Amino acid sequence: MARFFAHLPRRILLLVMFAGCALIASASLVYFDWDTLPPFAIEKLPVRFETLWLVSLRLHVAVALFTFPACLSLATRTLRRRRTVHRWLGRVTAVLVLFGLVPSGVVLSFDAKGGLFVTLGFLLSAAIVSGSLVVGIRAARRGELVAHRRAMQHVLAQMSVAVTSRAMLVLLDRAALDPDLAYVVALWLPVLGSAAAIELISRRASPGRPWLSFIERIRRAVYSLTHMRARGVHSPVARLGR
Amino acid sequence: MLVVCTVPSLAWADESIIEWVARRVTDEIVQPLAQREGSRFSRVRQPARERRVRVNQASFSVDKRGREFMPFAVDVRLGDKEWRENDIVGCIYRGSGELFVNRGGYRPAAFLLGKNVDPVPGACEAAPPPRRS
Repeated sequence: MARFFAHLPRRILLLVMFAGCALIASASLVYFDWDTLPPFAIEKLPVRFETLWLVSLRLHVAVALFTFPACLSLATRTLRRRRTVHRWLGRVTAVLVLFGLVPSGVVLSFDAKGGLFVTLGFLLSAAIVSGSLVVGIRAARRGELVAHRRAMQHVLAQMSVAVTSRAMLVLLDRAALDPDLAYVVALWLPVLGSAAAIELISRRASPGRPWLSFIERIRRAVYSLTHMRARGVHSPVARLGR
Repeated sequence: MLVVCTVPSLAWADESIIEWVARRVTDEIVQPLAQREGSRFSRVRQPARERRVRVNQASFSVDKRGREFMPFAVDVRLGDKEWRENDIVGCIYRGSGELFVNRGGYRPAAFLLGKNVDPVPGACEAAPPPRRS
């Protein structure tokens, strides 16, 4: 019984996120009616690169509708216990996030309503998602499950911004806040709040670690990626014996 | 929905035209938009509390093809209850009743309801006044 109550907040959070995901999915069906422009596009157009923007928008929505529930499922005890399913669903989701969700989100961010400040908010979220994903994958390959879990919690937390941000937009509209300000608040607060919440939870779970260690891991991962690319360029020269 | 005439001194003479413009804009743009807007769990702007149609001219303008049109604007009141002027700017053509809205050029008003239509060159552009010799 005590164990049930210990896991209750986490279960409620997952349920709320699944419900939010379903609401987003129902509101997103219009994106797949190819003959009709979705309301978000009507509001935003004209943009600089219209075709690229529209393709990115539809790709972003489609990929998010798969990857967000997939990430939520991967976080459940049921899927964490089924290692093979967890690994393969994780791989597919990671590829879709890194090569679909993040790049399309970056394209959309440059025409985000709210200007530069909102663009920066989306870019920060994208950086946390992609950075954490790389760190998480590397940790999993090394068998460091605690680090893997922590990194993936960051990915999931940033994805949950989709739900919390929309919920805040509705609430702030009811509170009669200026819509332009509400859009900025409803982005930055969930982005920073989610990252901070995961850091706090992780720190409580392992109090000995400095909070900067996670950022340090991202830095190392990016460094190793760029280092790998540099080696890739130099290696043929080495093989030629020069 | 409100209809605002901002040329009151001339309104008596062209009241029927202004009413016609307001009715057409209401029927073709304001009401369909209100029907499409529900409670939204999305990043789209939250539903408008109210919209009003403004007609700023008392007489028709003429475009380069000699067709008469009347510009109009739709203001919107959102969650913060402040009126935002010129949320939609457009024009209506006399006779045909065709409606255009300015979204990176004047497009048929069906654009606001989801139809992907391109701007129509010359639409809602008043012709330069004739030269006096």
